[in-house]
Amino acid sequence: MRHITCTAVFVASLAFGTAAASAADYREKLASWLQLTQATETPGEETAVPAPSEAIATVLDEQDVMSVLGLRVRSSTGEDMGRIINVVVDGTGHVRAAVIDFGGFLGVGNRKIAVDWNALHFAPAGSKDDRITLELTRDQVKAAPEYKDGRPLVMLGTAESLQPSPSSE
Amino acid sequence: MPLQPSRRSQRGLDWFVFFVATVLTGFGPFVAVYLTSQHWTQLDIGLVLSIGGIASLLGQMPSGALVDAARSERVVAGLAIVATGASALALGLWPVSPVVQVASVVQAFAGCILGPAIAAISLGLVGHDGMGERLGRNARFASLGTGAGAAAMGASGYLIEDRAVFFVAAAFLIPALLALRLIEEKEVDPERAHGGVEGEPCLHHRAAPMATVIRHRTLLIFAGCVLLFQLANAAMLPLLGSILTMRSSQWATALIAVCVIVPQLIVALVSPWIGRSAQRIGRRPLLLLGIAVVSLRGILFASLSNPFLLVAVQLLDGIAAAVFTVLTPFIISDITRGTGRFNLSLGFVGTATGIGASLSTTLAGYASDHFGSPVAFLALAAIATAGVALVWSLMPETRPGTAKLSPPLTSAERIRQS
Repeated sequence: MRHITCTAVFVASLAFGTAAASAADYREKLASWLQLTQATETPGEETAVPAPSEAIATVLDEQDVMSVLGLRVRSSTGEDMGRIINVVVDGTGHVRAAVIDFGGFLGVGNRKIAVDWNALHFAPAGSKDDRITLELTRDQVKAAPEYKDGRPLVMLGTAESLQPSPSSE
Repeated sequence: MPLQPSRRSQRGLDWFVFFVATVLTGFGPFVAVYLTSQHWTQLDIGLVLSIGGIASLLGQMPSGALVDAARSERVVAGLAIVATGASALALGLWPVSPVVQVASVVQAFAGCILGPAIAAISLGLVGHDGMGERLGRNARFASLGTGAGAAAMGASGYLIEDRAVFFVAAAFLIPALLALRLIEEKEVDPERAHGGVEGEPCLHHRAAPMATVIRHRTLLIFAGCVLLFQLANAAMLPLLGSILTMRSSQWATALIAVCVIVPQLIVALVSPWIGRSAQRIGRRPLLLLGIAVVSLRGILFASLSNPFLLVAVQLLDGIAAAVFTVLTPFIISDITRGTGRFNLSLGFVGTATGIGASLSTTLAGYASDHFGSPVAFLALAAIATAGVALVWSLMPETRPGTAKLSPPLTSAERIRQS
């Protein structure tokens, strides 16, 4: 049994090593990849097929963007409102709502609730976990019907957030 | 004549049960939260949980057979807990799909082995006569271990980060192995551990045929009771939690926490008493009590609306949980006495448990979506009432010395059937 414990410790130390190494030369890799895409996109052959529109790589700093899936949402008074687990778009691709996993303790009693995307505020800086604020409180959100596939979406918002989305005009 | 278990071995088993429960707490709800924080979609998380669920359902009987075939329950239990710890570590280190899938399947199989292995060590250590007392202790320590694990992992997830949960879970592997070492190998009689006949050093191939054991009438009836219990019970807490979240904002989280934690404490408190009472007055009255409590709970949940009263009713869950945690291995050890198939039968009833629990949430979810939660609770109460009827009408008392039990498989019968 002691052998197995030793092996587990060894595997763990190996994993930490590789994780540290892979982060180091990321910038270089990115630069070479950008050159590569430019090289392949230069039109050389004359064919009947219309050339695909040129691919443009845009680099955004990680301070300026974030992946919202799994991020914590707080109310304006600082209450924990749960995590964003899904994003809902309309037919034209405009983001309409975020689905948050609300409430509960140790996986018991949590409810999936859709909130208006416009009722969410994204702080530009600060710690990643506190960047998203919802204009609603727990009290306002608690009784919302649960978000389910194949059902009409009921999303909660505030009077200010209820502006029509640009696509529906 | 097997040795009497020493205090040291008994203590070792106490703490092994405790730390196994602690490590296993690291899975379950924490996996979904962690993968969500790792930007996993709900679809992928659902897939991982379903695969794990199916693996732990299918793994029950093979694991039971494996434990029955083992010559050292300690080594089997040790390997299973190491595999569990390793999958916790893998989950924490590499949250990528193939690793997570494999880790959850490995954890599911290891979990299937740990239950029967602990039951086997218990039976091998104390024999049938001390089993009630021993299982009461097991339930107490498992419940305390789950509580301690949830507290430690909840705190580390909150204070450090979500993946810290899995490193904490893996770290509890070390005290688990140390506790396992305290159990004296020579005190765990391998024949007794599998429900074999004492003093008859039967080789493994002389154990009763698998099919005969599983078709044993009392075992089938008991599996039916367990299935109905799970079908009625498993969905009640999730449904209640959802209602509490809906009705009360300020107190919701605290109330749900009480609903989860306090029944665990009740299990820790009453299990030893239940084990001793089952030895003294018999299994049947307690089994009736355990399942009747579920029926009562369903009816009360359907008729009450005050959140604080609902929480009070939920405390009854502790009694039902204690009864079934202690009595399930106890009754099976009665039924399989002399067959050498104790753990296979545990796996068989474990499969019934898994099926009942997974159908329960589906059924209750459907009922509450379409007809409202009171109807869902009444439906669950009706199922529990059917369980009471089944125990009342068909389930015999399995305590040795009571005539009602259909005769256990004797050596003569085994020879005739083979």
